[in-house]
Amino acid sequence: MTGADSRTEDLLRELAPQVLGALVRRHGQFHLCEDATQEALLAAATQWQANGPPDHPRAWLNTVATRRLLDLMRAEASRQEREDRVAAATPQSELLSAPADEPPLDSDDSLALLFGCCHPGLSVPSQIALTLRAVGGLTTAQIAAAFGVPEATMAQRISRAKQDIRASGPDLTVPAEPERTQRLRSVLHVLYLIFNEGYTTTSGEDLTAPALSQEAIRLTRWLHRLLPSDSEVTGLLALMLLTDARRAARTLPDGSLVPLAEQDRGIWDRQLISEGTALITAALPVGRPGPYQLQAAIAAVHDEAATMADTDWRQILSLYDILVAIAPNPFTTVNRAVAVAMVHGPAAGLDIIAGLAADKRMSRHHRLIATQAHLLELSGDTSAAAASYREAARYATSLPERRYLSLQAQRLSPRA
Amino acid sequence: MKYLMMIYGNAEKWASIPAADFPAAIARQDAFNKRYQQTGELLGAYGLADAVQAKLVRREDGQPAVTDGPYLETKEYMASFYLLDCESEERALAIAADMPWADEEPVELWPILHEAKFEP
Repeated sequence: MTGADSRTEDLLRELAPQVLGALVRRHGQFHLCEDATQEALLAAATQWQANGPPDHPRAWLNTVATRRLLDLMRAEASRQEREDRVAAATPQSELLSAPADEPPLDSDDSLALLFGCCHPGLSVPSQIALTLRAVGGLTTAQIAAAFGVPEATMAQRISRAKQDIRASGPDLTVPAEPERTQRLRSVLHVLYLIFNEGYTTTSGEDLTAPALSQEAIRLTRWLHRLLPSDSEVTGLLALMLLTDARRAARTLPDGSLVPLAEQDRGIWDRQLISEGTALITAALPVGRPGPYQLQAAIAAVHDEAATMADTDWRQILSLYDILVAIAPNPFTTVNRAVAVAMVHGPAAGLDIIAGLAADKRMSRHHRLIATQAHLLELSGDTSAAAASYREAARYATSLPERRYLSLQAQRLSPRA
Repeated sequence: MKYLMMIYGNAEKWASIPAADFPAAIARQDAFNKRYQQTGELLGAYGLADAVQAKLVRREDGQPAVTDGPYLETKEYMASFYLLDCESEERALAIAADMPWADEEPVELWPILHEAKFEP
């Protein structure tokens, strides 16, 4: 892609939620507005790349999308009445020419759109697909490629999600409290999952698919601009930046995994670390810290340590203590067990792992078994550690993880 | 997370199903396929020919050498397979439990660890 092409694409993806949000506010009917916006974006992609962007790109898209929406509504023959309403609600000038001055960015429209895409009535994969398309401005083909499913399948997910939104009733608005807080939580969860899908693909050869992580960071930055005083939004952005900072050190050129203890900290991205650290430092003192802020704070403590041995494990442990209390989750407990082992010795960490392993589903999870192996090795029991690494490899869910765990088992096994 | 879901059987088993029951059985399976295509979770559904049509291909001195299969001799062979992409193992198990055949025969479910990436 040339520089001009990618600038056009960046501009279009920035404008996509603004155009769609404004269209939905004025006309309702999310499903038709979404199709109309998508078609306007496709038209812009071809025309702007050939002739350069127009003077008022947002107005251009608004005009084309509104015209297309009218066509789509006309096509729904039985909806004659509604078409008249749209025509009446649309100032004639908007259909003909761009407004002289760009309207200010209407943050409520964009937020309503994002909240709508993460509607609790939708399945999580549908929320992700719809967010990437309606808010991220990605095409169905791009989203399908990112998740490794056929385009027809992704199109089905998106169309299903749009039907479900249509069935769920009123058009998109930002809900009132207390629903707003709850809905924002699912918005953050969706953004976190998109980031994670890019960072640790749960299946596949390539452990880091940067495109999805970058998209998640872009959308979270955008959300942070809309809600600058929400400290969990800030916390999530900080967590993403502090995690992404280690990307280059996390894998070798052959794709194999490098654990935190062995990473070349010299190639961690200092700029991302200082940005993430500044964000979390500013957010933490404001109100009650939420789970993303705490995870970001833990990541910041790791990122500021020059070596694994220099890591302030006591501080990490106290952050995990709060995290386990406010957002209990077995995987958080697994991570806390490592911090406990670093502060109080491996036996104390192994006790926590043993407690978790009573749950049959957890006892078969490769992360629990791998952590157990690591702590057994720290305790000096290499043969038990090797057996646990071998067991963990069998339950691994990605090829790089399986290879890494098998290598650890081999490293600790006496040569035959 | 992607999963491979498989159904096993043999000619004897399929022959034991009364012909009159076939249309309803096929309709149930079609309804299942349609339901999960629409949720965007079923990527593909495939039925295999009888085991007598399976071939084994080796290369001997650089030349293909073809013999009759299947490779493993068992009483039952894979009869159909389904490719799923869903959010969790729980969800994959729920879909497997919804398979029309699950009343009579087990449905085998394997997580897919790796998939070759193709440039779009």
